[in-house]
Amino acid sequence: MSVDTLVAILVSGFVAGSLYALMASGLSLVWGTLRMFNFAHGTLLMLGAYAAWYFSDSKGLDLGLSVGILVALILLALGGILLYALLVRPFIARPGADLVVIITTLAGASFLQNSAQEVFGPRYKQLDRVVKGQVEILNTAIGLQELLIIILTPIVLLLLALFLKRTKLGLAIRAVEQNHDSALLAGVNVGRIYPLIFAVSAMLAALAGIMLGGLFFITPVMGSDPLLRAFIVVVFGGLGSLPGTIVGAYVIGIIEAIAVFVVGLYWAPVVLFIVLILVMILRPTGLMGGKE
Amino acid sequence: MPLNVDRVSAGYGKVVVLHDISIVVGQGERVGLFGPNGHGKTTLLRAISGLIRPSSGSITFDGAPITTLSPREIVDRGLVQSPQGNTLFPRMTVLENLTLGAYAGHAWSQRRESLERVFALFPKLAQRQGQLARTLSGGERQMVSIGMALMGKPSLLMLDEPTLGLAPKIKDELAEAISAIAATGVTMLIVDQDIELLLGVCQRLYYIENGRVSLETREGERIDRQQILEMYFGTAPR
Repeated sequence: MSVDTLVAILVSGFVAGSLYALMASGLSLVWGTLRMFNFAHGTLLMLGAYAAWYFSDSKGLDLGLSVGILVALILLALGGILLYALLVRPFIARPGADLVVIITTLAGASFLQNSAQEVFGPRYKQLDRVVKGQVEILNTAIGLQELLIIILTPIVLLLLALFLKRTKLGLAIRAVEQNHDSALLAGVNVGRIYPLIFAVSAMLAALAGIMLGGLFFITPVMGSDPLLRAFIVVVFGGLGSLPGTIVGAYVIGIIEAIAVFVVGLYWAPVVLFIVLILVMILRPTGLMGGKE
Repeated sequence: MPLNVDRVSAGYGKVVVLHDISIVVGQGERVGLFGPNGHGKTTLLRAISGLIRPSSGSITFDGAPITTLSPREIVDRGLVQSPQGNTLFPRMTVLENLTLGAYAGHAWSQRRESLERVFALFPKLAQRQGQLARTLSGGERQMVSIGMALMGKPSLLMLDEPTLGLAPKIKDELAEAISAIAATGVTMLIVDQDIELLLGVCQRLYYIENGRVSLETREGERIDRQQILEMYFGTAPR
């Protein structure tokens, strides 16, 4: 394997890992606090991309890319809260709520995908790149957009970690995650924490969508593959463990990039699932999952 | 009367645990609840804290009804509970756990002073403040749990089995701390199996059986070991 192949694999692995990390950390936050999986999480990525496109593109409102990105993030935060209010909150107190919410969020995902198709049409869209051009690293041309994703994502994740670790609200989120009743007894308003988590998680997904929308085409189903990978990542990294999720995302991204190179695009998911099955057999709690 | 539980029934789903139970706790009073396991003591505290909603009856605190308030609103009013046993935030440090105790309302701005008071009461926690809660011993966890409740600036402090499952030496240490808390004049409602502890700290006791108060002592009335054994077993050899 030549150096430029290696660099190409690493770049594509880290770009994918970044996207998976953004997706999976939101999924993991929701799982950690509500013990529920949000199957509409992939459509949040897709909506983030469409929103950014609509506000920035010359065929949309043509307000420029930075406005588009900012508006998309704000809209998706609200969208996350709305999704919680419509698809999760009404069922939260029911027995078997975790299963009911799988169905309601799946239904929501299907509805939103078809709505996006209806509203934006079947023609593929693409976002402008935030940065254009390429740099040469070790004789390999790397897109600046890819480089930006690789650099920006750890910064975003660091901010997320700082928010969870250093702020009062972050402390409350972790409290709800670790012990629901004790959080209530400490006076945490758990009913307010849930929508907040959905807002944060939707913004992370939207950011992934905006990044992806500059690299590939924006389609109504563009969130499905990243969502599937994010599921693999949260299980692989250890359910509910944010550090595990982030490390897991990059590991999965790299493994996938290697697999694409070695066995090709169509067989790469098979490799991912084999890895996942092996982890499940050898370490059922995931890389960094605790006992509990 | 700060706390007045009036003919409260409550339970989980179709299982009724509390049957028309009534207790009162006066201003500055320290009241003990005891009785066999599984007869509703913890359920009563959960109902008072708003974690479960009574199916009938009313609870008032400082003259205002709190029966339908959320746990947060109840904590905001100064009615704070230190729950039973292993109820900390396991993957947070001792310091973070204690800080969360001050989450509600006015307690937050005074969390540094409160923290000093808790550390004065439990010097061990000061040494272990950076340690994750799940790595603590049973006694230390109990100290954190009581410390968290104190961080909430309670005007009425409820302790649920503060000495459950602890070695005698650590039990004594906790009993001493509880007496020290009592000496500050805070109103207290304590659930425990350790009668000696309750007799040492409380002015009045309720014996709870089958979700009802089946016996209560009046203020100033002494109750001895023998009577208590008879309550538990119906009869006891002298």
